Amino acid sequence: MSAKAVSAAGKAERPLSATLAAAKMELEERFGTRLLGSAEFRGELTYTVAPEDWVEVLRFCKETPALAFDQLDCLLGDHLPERAAAPLQVVAHLLSHTRGHRLRIKTPLVEGRGLSTVTGLWPSAGFDEREAWEMFGIVFEGHPDLRRLLTTEDFVGHPLRKDFPLQGTVGGRIRTDLRGKI
Amino acid sequence: MSDHNDNAAAASELQGHAVSGRPTLEELKERKARSRRRLEHTGEVMTISMGPQHPSMHGVYRAELDLDGEVIVAVRPEIGNLHRGVEKLCEQRTYHQIIPITDRLDYLAGFVMNHGYCEAVEKLMGLEVPVRGRYIRTIAGELCRIANHIMWLGVHIMDLGTQTFFCICFRDREYVLDLLEMLTGARLTHSFGRIGGVAKDLPDGFAHRCRKAIDFLPQRVAEYERIVKHNRIYYKRAKGVGIFTSEDCFAWRVTGPALRSAGIARDLRKDEPYAAYDEVDFEVAVEYNADVYDRFLVRMKEIRESCKIIRQCLDNIPDGPFVARDAGRTLPLKKNVLRDPAAMIQDFYQVFEGPQVPKGEVYRAIEAPKGEMGVYIRSEGGAKPARIRFTTPSFYHGQAVPPLVEGEMISDMVAIFASIDVVLGDCDR
Repeated sequence: MSAKAVSAAGKAERPLSATLAAAKMELEERFGTRLLGSAEFRGELTYTVAPEDWVEVLRFCKETPALAFDQLDCLLGDHLPERAAAPLQVVAHLLSHTRGHRLRIKTPLVEGRGLSTVTGLWPSAGFDEREAWEMFGIVFEGHPDLRRLLTTEDFVGHPLRKDFPLQGTVGGRIRTDLRGKI
Repeated sequence: MSDHNDNAAAASELQGHAVSGRPTLEELKERKARSRRRLEHTGEVMTISMGPQHPSMHGVYRAELDLDGEVIVAVRPEIGNLHRGVEKLCEQRTYHQIIPITDRLDYLAGFVMNHGYCEAVEKLMGLEVPVRGRYIRTIAGELCRIANHIMWLGVHIMDLGTQTFFCICFRDREYVLDLLEMLTGARLTHSFGRIGGVAKDLPDGFAHRCRKAIDFLPQRVAEYERIVKHNRIYYKRAKGVGIFTSEDCFAWRVTGPALRSAGIARDLRKDEPYAAYDEVDFEVAVEYNADVYDRFLVRMKEIRESCKIIRQCLDNIPDGPFVARDAGRTLPLKKNVLRDPAAMIQDFYQVFEGPQVPKGEVYRAIEAPKGEMGVYIRSEGGAKPARIRFTTPSFYHGQAVPPLVEGEMISDMVAIFASIDVVLGDCDR
């Protein structure tokens, strides 16, 4: 048991790859204190940036040769109701084919505040941003076609928010109030 | 090699331009621009709806097409007809209970979806999988890949107008599904992955039957190639159609065989090895013309390589446990639960409480048959994920349809759409 715990802990502190360490230096040199936070976990590097810097940081990641993130692997929304100041979050996963490293960049968002689209950098963000909008209500400014994607057009609400009920708000419900009475 | 020369000769005869073996990116862009030039002088545009019930659309995908005569001017893809709220559902389940949900994503390669999810959870936990477990995962994953590609081939050829070949492919796919059924107990939705390994060991007689099948399948691939590869109708429908260069693939996140057909030897099995892929010897299938025909060639090569991988796994598979034994995080062996009090307590604990997972977030991608499939998990500690996202290849392939088909003919739409391999369970989640 103890040997296993040690090996698991060793894996947790897996060092960053050489190219990713170089990318890290480059990013920190360029943006410095504008990077609100960074984390390393299981060999993955995460940066938090302010919403104003979102497009600029991602553009830098794409266009700087030392980083060369040519693919947006995925972009997703998230809801953290326990973080009252900024309950929403957008997370982007970048991948570099030429250098073979990955990076995660996220930004906290206050309710009702929009974020600039990155469809101009990677067109593949189009569906991702539409999904983040319909599921979390995050508005992407400048998105060419911000409509509902997976749910129907007349759907009301943002279903992946934590306060949205699992059974939905329309249609048949299970009557939990009758439990034990019949 | 003589086949290739025949094809090159046929191509120049059929299409009026010589086909070199390895076109450069500029040449590919030029070929792509040739079809897009049709968009310059469009007259009256007619809008029609293709799908979700169109016989040649795979699953419930709908595309609104703007047509000028037979040329596709614009496409607006509509997805979501099969949306089941998988990610919302996963947030209410413990990590063990999510496994059966994952193989409903891409139901043509169910185990690969289990595998990708389990890899992500193991990365989050920092859990090591025993060597035998990794080999069994590799075998099951490659069987799924073969089944997926054979199914793809049958459907793709059926889209181009023949029924018989579809039946041939389905018959051969049965051999693979029989093996998967023997191994996992289910034909399509396997739910065979477990956190820390797999559900069961290889059954008795499996290795023998599996060897017979993988000796037989390359012969079948040769047969498919005899029927399809040198078929003039297929050649004319597929060669030079639906060109998607490597730059387009990066921009639209098109991965898997479509990317490899554009001359990029990108395969997560090689580039970010997982399971037992770093211990077996195989080649990444690459082609260079980035069209429908080369995507077919890539998939045929991949079936052969998968057979090679399975054979090496069967030869080298070591003895030992097939699932990690970690009382706090994995399920006990089912056969021990009613015999061993400790296993019974572990089972109760894991089923009712769930595994204890550290706080953190991970992203893990694996090479699914259709492309790169990633899983993002954010954990706040405890037994349930706070947010889970399945980054499935079909989602992005469905999105990439407009740049693929605009400027092409409407009759090529089904061929191109099939060639990037979209399954709507994977797409809509």
